[in-house]
Formats: sequence, structure tokens, C-alpha cells
Amino acid sequence: MMSSRLARFADERFGSNAAVRYFKAKVFPDNWSFYLGEFALYAFALLVGTGIWLTFVYEASPAGAYDSVVALSRAAPIGFLVRQIHHWSAVTFVAAILLHMGRIFFTAAFRKPRELNWVVGILMLVLASLAGFTGYSLPFDALSGTGVRIADSVLLSVPLVGGWAAAVLNGGGFPGPLLLSHLYTFHVYYLPIAIALLLAAHLGMMVYQKHTQFVKDEGHVVGRRFWPDYALRAVAAMFFSFAVIFALAASVEINPIADYGRYHDWTVPNPAVPDWYAAFLDGALRLGPPWEATIAGHPVPALFWPGVVMPLVVFAVVVCWPWIDARFTRDDAAHSVLVEPADAPWRVGAGVALLFAGLVLTLAAADDQQAFALHVPVQGLVNFYRVLLPAGSIAAFFLASLFARELQARARRHGGEPERVVALRRNAEGGYVEEDPQPEREPQTA
Amino acid sequence: MGDDLPRTLTRAALACAVTAVLGAVAAAALRADPAIIGWLAALAFLAVAVAAGALARGLAAPNDLREARHRLGPSHPAPLPADAITRPGMFGRMWGYALGAFGVLALVPFVALARRQAPRGTAWSAGARLVDADGRALKADSVDVGGVTTVFPEGNVGAPETATLLIRLDDGLLRPQPGRAGWAPAGNVAYSKICTHAGCPVAIYRHASYQLYCPCHQSVFDVLDAAQPISGPATRALPQLALDVDSAGYLVARGDFSEPVGPDEWWRPV
Repeated sequence: MMSSRLARFADERFGSNAAVRYFKAKVFPDNWSFYLGEFALYAFALLVGTGIWLTFVYEASPAGAYDSVVALSRAAPIGFLVRQIHHWSAVTFVAAILLHMGRIFFTAAFRKPRELNWVVGILMLVLASLAGFTGYSLPFDALSGTGVRIADSVLLSVPLVGGWAAAVLNGGGFPGPLLLSHLYTFHVYYLPIAIALLLAAHLGMMVYQKHTQFVKDEGHVVGRRFWPDYALRAVAAMFFSFAVIFALAASVEINPIADYGRYHDWTVPNPAVPDWYAAFLDGALRLGPPWEATIAGHPVPALFWPGVVMPLVVFAVVVCWPWIDARFTRDDAAHSVLVEPADAPWRVGAGVALLFAGLVLTLAAADDQQAFALHVPVQGLVNFYRVLLPAGSIAAFFLASLFARELQARARRHGGEPERVVALRRNAEGGYVEEDPQPEREPQTA
Repeated sequence: MGDDLPRTLTRAALACAVTAVLGAVAAAALRADPAIIGWLAALAFLAVAVAAGALARGLAAPNDLREARHRLGPSHPAPLPADAITRPGMFGRMWGYALGAFGVLALVPFVALARRQAPRGTAWSAGARLVDADGRALKADSVDVGGVTTVFPEGNVGAPETATLLIRLDDGLLRPQPGRAGWAPAGNVAYSKICTHAGCPVAIYRHASYQLYCPCHQSVFDVLDAAQPISGPATRALPQLALDVDSAGYLVARGDFSEPVGPDEWWRPV
């Protein structure tokens, strides 16, 4: 066997069989929600794979970028497919990270000793969004070019250093000769390498600190062996996520740049909406008030508050959440047993309120289309969303908390016990006899 | 039988995967529709997922296992003893300052890039003829009343930030600001097309209400009142281009825009 020969080769030189034996027997807790982060990992693998191929055809210059991506679709049908897989993987990547983050949040898996892994995860979410934004900007079509122009304007709005940063990014005014080569360097170099390093830290910390679990046993990991149980499940999850992404890429065209045309600063497709994970920022720009402050004779553009301050405040609160949560719960102890979401109604409320605010901002990014469909003035809808953002989020907090409290009360009424399972056996007379319920299976020690 | 089923299923699924991959390769070789290649590949992945899943089910241990969690911390003894370097005092702090100084040095090349841009002007200049995107020069009656077209300075079609909306109004509708009385000959009024909010093209003209509308963030500007913002997030009017008619009857600019074009920034003079 090839594999046993390889194992012997490595073992004779590194004594690696001890480690292999240890990891094969390592126990992982099992729950469907623990696979969400894995889906992000597999999407990332697909992104790297397809991305490497795309680097061979992409031209990072303002004049050649659009043509090189359009030509890719014309030259070979498979080129179009690779770009579609890449873009769908990116969308899946961010979605899976957000779902994974939701699981971590609502089950309080971020508590001590895992606060740093929460921070690393949030950083990866930000980097993934930036990688997505720089990536869909690379074709520099009319839609994404306009998006870059808006991002450039947001950068310009930063007091003191904004103009300098924008000039460095562009290598001049917008769209500067170095703009695409800078976006490209970030997209294929700094961002993926930073994500890969953080991913290694994320998984390393998870393996070292061991996974959290729902089974109420702080002293032990209760679950399945890595080999073969968990490894096979992971392989199945990986190939399943590949299948989903390929099916999406084959059936739904994403980002049809050939329809948009190349970027000019005087044309834009209407309606103009960014990729879904960036939409909340665009929505914030739409809802932002038309206030231009003046500080010491210098303008602070209206873009600055919704475009820079709002995301930074949200980022700071989310990054600090493990410590904020510990302060609220007055709980500084280390935990490896997860909280049933309903057992912490206020946390459910806080999470749902944040999700609701994000949803309102995302919806606001398409307010013109909604106003058109509903035959209402856009400005009326903008005002509605301006009220809904704070009022709805507070209402969402209380409604979600109440809902969680109700679930908690119901669980308590049932005594928190699982339903009794009985085995019925047919006897010789044709009737049924109830057998003793199976004795609870005592988990074996690994 | 019970043991054989997962194994049989696994084998069948893997065979299906190989077939689907071969099919995808053949489809690619025949330059088939990318959707066919994609679906065949998706089918292959799904088959492997089924194979691994079936095998996992067949091999799964019947019971959960338990593995002791090792203590993560704090270690014993918890506090590290102060040594020659970490003991409190100037010695340790000076190391911090010295290393910090190198950090400042590393910033120097980045700060050196921070040349402030001179206030940007556009390619519009006095006497520049207005041409459309195809380079055709426009006369005072080239645009019908109620119409709009995007114009550029002659010889600079598409140059950054030159895009201008030329709108033809009925004479007397415009309410010119002080000092702008003669800027719109024969009802031809010209405003920058670059939104003062985030730099998008203000691409939509609602001629019934004389409003310009930006499709990016829905700022609305009043064409009759110096393109002042009337709703949406924009805070500044679209800069106006003063127009004139040259001796040959063509529309020309009297100079660059009235104000800097595009979104605001800290260093922009106010």
C-alpha cells in the first residue's frame, strides 16, 4: 500500500506515527451547526484553486482589465465557468462565515477561553468581504467601477489622511494608472495570505483548545473519533459544498459584466447595487443624512459618518463582544459547554437586533427598486427606513428575547427531559408489550 | 447484507463520479455549453459526497466517545518572575522606545507618498467647444428643448471628471444665481455629471420636474436652481459650466467649472 509506505517513510524520519495515532483517535463533538465553518473553509479552497487559474488570464490595467475578463468568457466556455465558480464561491464564503458566526454567537461559543478565536474569525470576515470587493472590482465594468468610485469617495471623506490614502491607492486621481494593479495585489496577495494565516491560527487554536459541545460535560469532549468517522463526514461535507457551488455556477449567471460594459465615469447601470455582503454599506450611504460638518475650516463630507464611522463602530462592538458579554453575565469562568440559545434571551435579542439592522441597511441599498415597484416616492421610503433602523432594531431585540423566553419556558414545562422512548414488542397473542427503555448508553472512554 | 449495503453504495457512487468527470472532460473538449460542464462536475462532487457519507454511516462507531479535556490554564506558578530585562525600570522601557523608533522609521516611506494633490481642475477651458460622446460639436439649438445630452470638451472626450450634462430649457425657466446670468445661452444650461456625494454619474434627467437624479444613492438636484440638492444624501450643488456661443455658432465653455468637481474631501477649499 502506498499510504503505509509513506507512513513508514515519515515515521522513520520524524517519528510521525505517534502524532498520526493521536489525531486519528482525537474526539470531535458532532452537530449539524458545526459544519457551517467547514463550508467556509471549502469555499476558500475552491477560491484559491479557481483564483490561481484566473491569474493566468487577467490583465491588471485600467485599459486591459475589462477586455481580459470578457475575452476569458469568449475564448473557452470553461473560462466563463471558472469565473462563475470563483464568484459563487466568494458569495458562499462570506455567507458561510456569517452563518458560522451566528452559530458561535447564539450558543456563546466565544466565551473564555475562546475569545481570541472569535476575534480572528471576525477579522477573517472583514478580510473576506474586502477580498470579495476587490475581486468583483477587478473586471472594472460599469457597475464595479462605479462601486470603486464610491469606495474612493468614502476614502476621500476621511479627515486629514483620506486624500493621501486615495492618491496612494490610485497613483493619482481617480481612476489612477495604479488603481487596478493595487486592487489586484490586495486581491491575490495580501488578502488571501492574511486569510490563510488567520485560518491556520483559527484551526490551530480550535484543535489545541478542543471544540465546544452541547453535551453538558465540561471535563470531557464527547463525540466521534476523527478517523474514520469525522474525516469521512468532513470529506462528504467538502464534496457536497463543491457540488452546490458548481451547480449554482452552472445554473445562475452571477455578475454578467458583458451586459454592463466597461467603466466610464459618465455611465452607470440602473439600478446599481453591490454584492449582497457589501450592500449594507451602500444602504447606509443612502440613509445617511445630508450633513456636511466643518471642522477648523475643513469639510467633513456626509459620506464619512455612514461610510466610515458606522462600520468601524459596529466592528469594534462585535470584536469586543466576548468581553462585553462577560461583563453582562458577570461570568469570567472558562466554558466548553455551549449555551442553548433560548437559555440566554437577552443575547438572542442582541444578535437578532444586529441582524435586523443589517437587514434594513441591506434592503435600503435597493430602495429605488422597491419604491418603483410599490409606486411610492424614494424619499418616503428612505425616511421610513431611517425610522425603522433604530425603532425596528429595538423592537426586534424585545420580540426575539420574548420568543426565546417562551421557548425556555416551554422547555421547562416539559421538565427539560427528552421524550421517553419505549420499545414495543409484539407477543404471541398478537398484543404489544412495552419493553424496558434501553438503558442510557454510557459513552465509552477513548 | 447490512454491512455490504454501504460498501456497495460507496462503490456505485464513486463509479458515478468517475463517469461524470469523464463526461465533463468530454463536454469541455467538445466546447459544450459551460452549464453542461458545470452540472456534470457538480454531479461528480455530489457522488463523492454520497460515497463518503455512506461509508461514514457504515463505519460509524455506535456510541459517542469521551476524551478528557486538558487544563488550558493558568499554568503553575502563574506569574513569571521578573528578570534582568522585564524588571521595572528605565532599562526595559528604553528598549521599547528604541524598537518603537524603528517602527516610525518604517512609516517614513509611506508618509513620503503623502504628497497633497494640487486642487484638481478638469480639461474644460475657456473657448473649448462642447462635443457629444461621438465628438460632434454642438450648436445652441442642437439639443431640443426638454432634452439632455452628455458633453465633453473638444479633444478630451471621456477625460476624467469632464462629463457634463447639457440640458435645454425653455427660455426664462432658469432662475440664475447672481453672477451667472449669461451662463445659459438660449436655455442651454450645463452641470457637471459627477455627483458631489460619492462621484457616481448623475445619469437620470426627469424633464417633467426639471430634476437630475443619481441612480447610486438617489440624490436629487434642481436644474432650475443651480443644481442645488433637494433630496437625498448630497450636500453640495453640481458645479455649473458657464457657456457661451462662439462666432461660428457653436457652444463653448467660458472656463472650467464654477467649483471643484466630484465628492468633497478634507483638503478641498471651502
